[in-house]
This record gives sequence, C-alpha cells and structure tokens, in this order.
Amino acid sequence: MKKITVALAGNPNAGKTTLFNALTGARQHVGNWPGVTVEKKEGIIKHAGREIHVIDLPGTYSLTAYSVEEIIARNFVVESHPDVVVDVVDASNLERNLYLAAQLLEMGAKVVIALNMIDVARGRFINIDVKKLSELLGVPVIPTNGKKGVGIEQLLQSAIKEAESGPDRDRNRTVNYGAEVEEELGKIEKELAPAIVSLHGLSSRWLAVKLLEGDSEVVKKIETTPSIGSLFKQVDESRNHLTSIFADSPEIVLTDARYGFASGAVRRAVQVELTDRIYLSETIDKVLTHRLLGPGILILVIYLLYTFTFQGSEPLVNAFGAFFRWLGAQATAALPEGLLKSLVVSGIIDGLGGVLRFTPLVAFMFFAIAILEDTGYMARMAFMLDRVLRGFGLHGASMLALMVSGGIAGGCAVPGIMATRTLKEPKERLVTILVAPLMNCGAKLPVYALLIGAFFADKQARMMLVLTVISWMMVLVAGRIMRSTVLKGPSAPFVLELPPYRIPTLKGLLIHTWERTWMFVKKAGTILLAVSIVLWAMMTFPSLPKEEAELFEQKEQKLTTAFLSHPVVTPFFQTEENVEQFEKIREDLAAGKSAVAQIDPALVELATVLKQDSDSNAPRPERSKSIGNRPLVETYATYIKEKGAIEGEKRSAQLQNAIGGRIGIALETVFRPIGFDWRTNVALLGGFAAKEVVVATLGTAYSLGEVKPDASESLSEKLKKEPSWNPLMAFTLILFVMLYNPCIATLAVIKKESGKWRWVFFAMAYTTVLAYCVALIVHSVGTFFGLGVA
Amino acid sequence: MEAAAVSNELMEAQDAEIMHDSPEEKCVDCPGLQDKECLARSAVALSDFRPGEKGRVRQVCGNPDFRRRLMEMGFVKGTEVSVIKYAPLNDPMELALMGYHVSLRRNEAAEILMDAPDQAA
Repeated sequence: MKKITVALAGNPNAGKTTLFNALTGARQHVGNWPGVTVEKKEGIIKHAGREIHVIDLPGTYSLTAYSVEEIIARNFVVESHPDVVVDVVDASNLERNLYLAAQLLEMGAKVVIALNMIDVARGRFINIDVKKLSELLGVPVIPTNGKKGVGIEQLLQSAIKEAESGPDRDRNRTVNYGAEVEEELGKIEKELAPAIVSLHGLSSRWLAVKLLEGDSEVVKKIETTPSIGSLFKQVDESRNHLTSIFADSPEIVLTDARYGFASGAVRRAVQVELTDRIYLSETIDKVLTHRLLGPGILILVIYLLYTFTFQGSEPLVNAFGAFFRWLGAQATAALPEGLLKSLVVSGIIDGLGGVLRFTPLVAFMFFAIAILEDTGYMARMAFMLDRVLRGFGLHGASMLALMVSGGIAGGCAVPGIMATRTLKEPKERLVTILVAPLMNCGAKLPVYALLIGAFFADKQARMMLVLTVISWMMVLVAGRIMRSTVLKGPSAPFVLELPPYRIPTLKGLLIHTWERTWMFVKKAGTILLAVSIVLWAMMTFPSLPKEEAELFEQKEQKLTTAFLSHPVVTPFFQTEENVEQFEKIREDLAAGKSAVAQIDPALVELATVLKQDSDSNAPRPERSKSIGNRPLVETYATYIKEKGAIEGEKRSAQLQNAIGGRIGIALETVFRPIGFDWRTNVALLGGFAAKEVVVATLGTAYSLGEVKPDASESLSEKLKKEPSWNPLMAFTLILFVMLYNPCIATLAVIKKESGKWRWVFFAMAYTTVLAYCVALIVHSVGTFFGLGVA
Repeated sequence: MEAAAVSNELMEAQDAEIMHDSPEEKCVDCPGLQDKECLARSAVALSDFRPGEKGRVRQVCGNPDFRRRLMEMGFVKGTEVSVIKYAPLNDPMELALMGYHVSLRRNEAAEILMDAPDQAA
C-alpha cells in the first residue's frame, strides 16, 4: 500500500487537535519527540487505497527557533520531508494564522491549508473568498470544521493529490521582501549553491532567509558542511548592509514583510461585514474575569475541580484499593509461607497498589483539566493569577498545579506535576514541578492525623490551617530562591493568547484524559515496581540471626504451653492446631461466611463473646459477665494479646536488624539534633515509597505489628506514653514529613516531566535539606523555650 | 497568465505594506537605542492605555527575542490594538488585535510604543 506522510501544523487554539481527532479518530499513538518532553501524536488512516500517516506537530505561532516546540515543528518539516504539510488555520483570525503559512511556504514544503472553524468566521460575518485566497497563496485551501467533521474528506483528497504531484512545481507564492532584501538573498543563495547538494532537500531560499535572519540553528547546521567558501562573509555583509538601510535588524524587517504578505492576502480575500460587534465570548469574559467577581468565581472553580477530582473519584479509588487488597489476599492464600509470599504481597502488590489505586483520581483530574483547557478558562486563570505568582518566580498557570498537589490539604503531587504541561515557559514550569511536592498531599494526612490526634487533639482544625499556611510559605519561598539561584533568568514574556470560549467535544476530552492517564500508569508503574522491591528488601534483609529468632519462638512456645495447660482451657483446646482452627472460625464468623451448624456450639459462643468484647468500648468490669464461660474468655483474650505482643517485638527486632533498620540507626547521629531516633528514621525511610507508609512503619518499629493508616489509635496512645515523645517532637516530625524527600511516584513523574535525572536528585536533595533545616530550627527554638516538655 | 496577474497583485499589496515605511519614521524611539533626536512626541506606551482605548503600533522595543516574539504575534507597525481590560490586580492586561485576544504584562506592554490612543466608542 502506498504510504503518505502528512504533517499537521498550525497555531495554538486553531482547532488543530480537534481536526487531528476528526482525521484519525481514536487510532492515535502518543509518545514524546526524541529527547524532549513535548508530546508527539501520530495517527494512521487508510484512505483511497493509501496508508496515510498523520503527524501532529506542536502548535506554534511561528517557526523561528524561539521555543522547543518551534524547533521541533520546523525540523520535522525541513528534515523529515513530509509528503505534504496541512496548515490548520483559524478562519476567524486569518491574518495572524497566515504568518505561519508564509513561513511554511518559504520552506518549500507542499502545503494544503485547512481553513478551520469556518463556521465561527461565518458567524462573525467574516466572508472569505476561498478561491481567491488559494490563488493568492498558490496552494489549495479547504474550508473545514473539525468539530462537525466538515471538509475532512476534501482535505484528505487534496492532501493526497498534492503529495502525489510532481516535486518541482514552483506554484507556491513566497513572501516578496522588497528589492533591497531580495538582492541580498540572491547573493547569499549564490554562495550557497556549491554547498546545497550536501544539504540534501533543504530549500536554498529558506536557508538564505534564515542565514540573513541570523538563525543560530541553521548557522550551526551549515557550518559543518564542506564547500561553504565565503558564505558567512557574504551573510555578514548582507546583514550589515540591510541594517544600515532599514535602521533595524534584518530579522525584524523580514518579520514585518511576512505580515505584509499575510495582511495583503487578507485584504484581498476577506470581507468583514460588521466590525464592532460584541461577541458572546467577550460578554462571558466580562463576568469571568471581572475585577471583583472573577477571583471569586476562580476560587469556586478550583473548589469544584477539587471536589470533582477527589470526591468524584473516591468510589473508584476505593474499588481499585479493594481490588489490590483482594489480589493480596489471593496471593496470601495461594503462596506458601516464606520469602516469596512476603515479596509478592508486601513488596509488589502493596507497593504498586499503594500508587496505582489512585489511577481513577488521576483520570478524573485530567478530565477536569481538559475541560478547563479546551473551554479556554485555563488561560483566564493564568491571566488573573499571574500578578500574585510572578513575585515568587512562578507563573499564573502554576496555580492549578499547586492546588492539585495539595494547595488545600488532600491533593496529590503526581497529577499536580503532570498538570504543569499547560505551562509553556520552561523555567517557570520546572520551578513549579520542583516545589509542588512541598504541598500537603493526601498521603501526608494520615501522618498528620496520627500526630495531631496524639498531641494536639484539642486544636485539630487550627493545626491543619497552620500546616496549610506553612506549606504555601515554603512553596513560595522555595520558588523565589530557586528562580534567583539554580533557575536564574528573566521571566519569560507573558504573551498568552486568550482564545474565545468554546464548548469542548466529549471525544476530545476523553482522548486527552485517556492519553495522559495511560502515560501515568505506564511510567509510575515501571519505576514504582523496581523501587517497591528494593524498599521491601531493605525492610526484610538480613533476617534475624537464628539464636534471636529462636529466643522469640521459645517465648511464644512457653506462653502457648502455659495457656494450653490452664484448667479452663484444656477442655476446649488441646494443641496449638486447635487454637489456629478456632482463629480461622473466628475470622469466618466475623466475615459471616461460616456455617455455624457444623461447629462446636461452645466455640461459637466463645467467638461471639470475644467479638462483643472487642466491639464494646466499655471498660472491662461493666461488661455483662453473665454471658458465656467468663474465665475461658478472659484467659483466651489475654493469651492472644500476649502472643501478639511477642509477635510485635519480634517484628520490631527484625526491622531493626534489617538494612532499613540499620540505616535508621546509622542516621541517628545525623537526626539526633532534631530529636529523631532509629524508629522515626526507619519510618521516614519507609515514607519514600509513599508518605502514609510512615504510619505503618512507625507501628512496626514500636512493636505494634502492622498498623493501618486509618486505624492508628493504638499507635497514638503508645506514642503519648513514650518518654521521648512530646508535642514539640510531634510538630517537628510533621514538618519533616511535609517537606522531606518526595515519594517514588512523584520522583518518577519529576523525571518524566523534567526529562532529566539531575532534577530528580535535585528535588530529593533540596527538599530533604529544607526539611532538616526547618526541623532543626523548630526543635532548637522549641527546646530553648522549653516548649513541649510538658 | 491568470497566475501571473495574481502574483503581481500580491506583490503590489506587499510593496504597499513595505512602502509606508517612509524615511522619517525609520529611526528607533526605544529608550537607550539610537539617537534621541527623532523621539516622537506623540508616542504613548501601550501600558499607559486605559481599558476601552485603542491605537496603532508604532514601534516595539526591548531585546531582540522579545521584539521578534511580539511582532510574530502581530504587534507590527500599523496594527490596531485595543485594550480590553486589566486583570483584577491591574496586571497583566488583555488586548485585542487582528481579531484575537492576548494577555501581556504591563512592563512588557511598556515596550510597545503606540500612536496616541483614540477613544473607542
């Protein structure tokens, strides 16, 4: 089958993505352009016996080397030689859009113009003489409406016809730069002639124009080719000559002339019937960016986005969580006791599940963001907030990313960082990526809940407010510092188009959401898997030395023997197996899935009473003693509790002995000044996987066995009684957890979005140093004033 | 023949665009650039325009990248720009030109020298 490559170029907001979706449907492949984090979308269509590859170039206003997007688009057109370039042009905004068309024509590419959003133009009484425009530009012009699929068929036919026409038809009209400039261009082209053979396929006129403009990318490319002779001497001469004539640099003169070309074409082919008419979009904007109403609506929109993302996705997140728990239970049942089981259940399933269960949340958020982007409201948010954030080296569009990351406690930095894709300015974007993890994400909340519950129970709401304020301060200050040190430089110009409000298409929104969500799953999944296994190994190996393990076993044995030989117990339990069987029955009864009839009624009764006891919160003497065999119940309960205590001690000793625990002990030297001992250190190490793991690991370290983040009352009771713990220590740890090393999933996304490992390491280093410094200050000042010694 | 006629027509149109660059207007008014002699008395920075006012671009100042970027967005000599509104904190400002809307910070708009504003309806 004949293969044709079609590149889709066009201005941002010209409806290029919608047209791409209309052309290719859902058959798209999304990746990145080599070496950069700009999305590359490709779609394949079969049409009229041909296989058409459509490549969506990044949306740009121009093709100078101003931004990464422009360089990508330009290099693709000049180097990969697509058979035809379809330039998507916004019919209601023709003049500025034709500026890009002028550049494409100049490159010598075969161009077909898709006169998109023709319906909007007609609605604004802009009448375009399509035939005339096509004659003026020397290329086919096809009116289209990507949203309704109008003109797609004609566009494809026209593109195929152009692609298969002869190579050297000099039909393209290129910009005429006026006598003086054309003369210099001629001279440069002459000098280029001997070298042009080795620059296969590049148009010599385009090269001449770029050289005259002093385009550094093109200069670099040509410098390495042989036989350039006195080319660069000629270029310098021409540039100086033109500068003296026009009293301005050639690139400005050429830009001016291209606009002359565009406005000349518009003047001849376009008639506007009515001018000063107020459009619906402007009326909407009168309210949405109103001086007083605007900020209020903005807060409401962010609040709704928040509610939609976090509450809307909650049932699905829970379902995903349940799925991973189910998977864990299946694996627990299927695998024999031992290392493999521990690896699969605690390492892989818990590790992956901990992050992947947030997939629905991420998808919901991308959907909400797609709505904000496609309607045009996102640009208005940036417009309103820019003044505030600029002072801290951030950008108006940073706000959304920060809010999602946990601007109001409870977000997540992973979708937050991915939301920075809407930011086009590289430095502002990187700063936003780097500070987003300092926000109070949902995973930090269980830690806060545990410590606030234990030490600041009477002022919970106030503490949360204080923590929110602190994290915002940290974000802004860190942003400010980074922008004046590692990411120094003037802020990028805020030339932000405010496109008319549009109603997005559901298809477009869904495609957007799906692409980004899938990328999250793929990236977070792979890196996460590796690190989860490493962390599991650190918490597991080396296992306890034999003698020590035996010591715990002996203790347990002794306890069991004493229990079994107790006179009230002997009638019911003779061996350890009996106890295990009974434990199984208890579980089944609690889950309500066991047939009561087949079991010894005495045991059923025991189980029922035990359940009532554990459910009831009343102190022991108050419980109804009339029910059941009281001495047996009491003895059994004590036995289970003591056995649990030994188990916990063993786990704690095991953790202390493992690499993780040893690192925790080694870190005591460093962390003593802020009051942390090995138990805290190892918990923080566990927090690398996900911050809520801090609670679980702390539980293990304090011999409580596994503690679920949402049921941490016993741990909080325990910490209150520990002599080394006090409100100051708790507050210090809260701040440390808020600020220190981002979790793995966040790090994976930082790598993906910044494109460099260097920024990942930077993020790890700066956050941890910041956390340490803040903790040190709080601890020292607090200790000095004798706070928390209560 | 038809094509040649069209081509000529377009060239004339372009020439007309280039021609209105008469020699007296060629000097640069931007602060710190070139001679001060020809500083146009009637030029007003775009940042001083009030919402509702509009005028034509005379010259874009600032560093080369910035100038070019703005010119590519349509801020070329003679383009009519109207100020739609200021953001809630008075900065940035929303502008309309060539049938589209764009936001610029005020310190950036200060680099765009304009003919004196006409009061819009």
